[in-house]
Amino acid sequence: MWRDLVDLLFQAYEQFSLLPLFIEIALAFIVIAILATIIAYGAIMYKRYKSYVHEKRVAFIGPIIEEMITEQVLLNENLGRDIPTEEIEFDQAALNDKVYKKPFVRQILIETLVQYRKNFRGEVGDLLRKLYIDMDLQKDSFNKLKSLRWEKKIKAVVELTQMDITISDVTILPLTNSTNPSLRAAARNAYVQLSKNEPFKFFDIATEPLLPWDQLELFKIITTTKDIAIPNFSRWVSYSTNKSIVSFCLKLIAHYDQQSAIPAVMELLNNKDHYFRADAIACLGKLSADAAEEKMVRIYNHQPLNCQIEILKAMGSIASGRHLEFLKSEFLYSSNFDIRMNAARAIIRHNTQNSRLLVEELMEMTYEENQLIIKHCLNPLIKY
Amino acid sequence: MSNILVIEDDDIMLKAIRNILRKDGHEVLTAKDGKEAFERLDNDEYDVVITDLMMPYANGLEVVSRLRSNPTKRHVGIIVCSSVGNEETITEAFRLGADDYLKKPIMAGELMIRIRKLLANRSSGAKLVTKKK
Repeated sequence: MWRDLVDLLFQAYEQFSLLPLFIEIALAFIVIAILATIIAYGAIMYKRYKSYVHEKRVAFIGPIIEEMITEQVLLNENLGRDIPTEEIEFDQAALNDKVYKKPFVRQILIETLVQYRKNFRGEVGDLLRKLYIDMDLQKDSFNKLKSLRWEKKIKAVVELTQMDITISDVTILPLTNSTNPSLRAAARNAYVQLSKNEPFKFFDIATEPLLPWDQLELFKIITTTKDIAIPNFSRWVSYSTNKSIVSFCLKLIAHYDQQSAIPAVMELLNNKDHYFRADAIACLGKLSADAAEEKMVRIYNHQPLNCQIEILKAMGSIASGRHLEFLKSEFLYSSNFDIRMNAARAIIRHNTQNSRLLVEELMEMTYEENQLIIKHCLNPLIKY
Repeated sequence: MSNILVIEDDDIMLKAIRNILRKDGHEVLTAKDGKEAFERLDNDEYDVVITDLMMPYANGLEVVSRLRSNPTKRHVGIIVCSSVGNEETITEAFRLGADDYLKKPIMAGELMIRIRKLLANRSSGAKLVTKKK
């Protein structure tokens, strides 16, 4: 039979070699396309089968796990009796059930516990963590952390973070600088939440950028995590070579109103990168850095449009009243609409006797479009 | 014993709250989305409704609004329990008539105390109304 098959293939090849070249190419394409389709379908079917098996397993084991958590944690009789969580004991027979030795069951158990921890804090939250530790589930998470697959590592980092399990710097710091953006972001978020003493240590070694979305996530975590040690961010503004880290630190300086960082931020006004300068000017404005106003006015004429607009906004925030004449001339003589708009807004934001007189004066002396700008800026319902 | 309706689209959270409240001696019914919640509210009487905000079909604010605009259901105590923590949403929930707001992750003990207080306030309020009459 094999001989017949080999003969058939040989004959087919002989006939194939006799065909014109373009027919040969077309046939080759057809064969490749059919093979690719078969492989793709095979992969899809395999994935579907795997997820079907997983769903079946979850449907079977999920209620058992939920019942165990309900019994051991939610309905634990020692809850609400002022007994420290560490001293509350679980029913060892329930925890040592052989069903919890199977890896897939342990994974489903971890995922369920993580889900519960997202919804409960206080005594119940602490007891969920104790259950995770008592069942040695952190070992499973740490094993996943050693995996070569980045998605498994992310899973492990999220699990350990949710369960508030400390990860050693040696393990997590390299991940905060991973080339994989998702893993990097997860590790950085975890580091800030888990590191009690130096949550921003990874800023020192970060060479990979902190992407805008990751900055948002990290900002949310930093500002909502309790008892986080907030350092003076000017340290990285002065020494970090990572632009995204510096830019992020500027936002944090403004958020935490770190007045001591003003000199370091002012240094950035000399930076060659105009995006950097714009960030620094915005930060100085939010800090109401009176000392920076003079320098901002001095450099104003040499700046690109984005920096000029930021300077005008910052002057509106600082509102020292020393540069109303400068703002007036920008409003009256600039040909750029955005400049005029921001200059008018800066004057109005001063909200002093002098600024109000200046607004009245401008309304009388300027032409219709500028009057409309002033009216627009004076409207308290329009914020942007 | 009081009747409580828990409206929550997260299955795990729904079961967990149900178990905690049953342990505390309440009669608990559940709804997984706004549509199911409306059906339950139309058919049964409840003392307290605990609702999530983000749900399919109708969100928690719609549930609060519907309860407060119905004269026969106006007495029901409402606790909003959500992970949404922004000021506008919380204010809006109270403006529409929610009695309390719990931000997730919640503390089980706190939830039980707030329910007890709400029930106590409602019953003392009802007594006052009766006295006035």
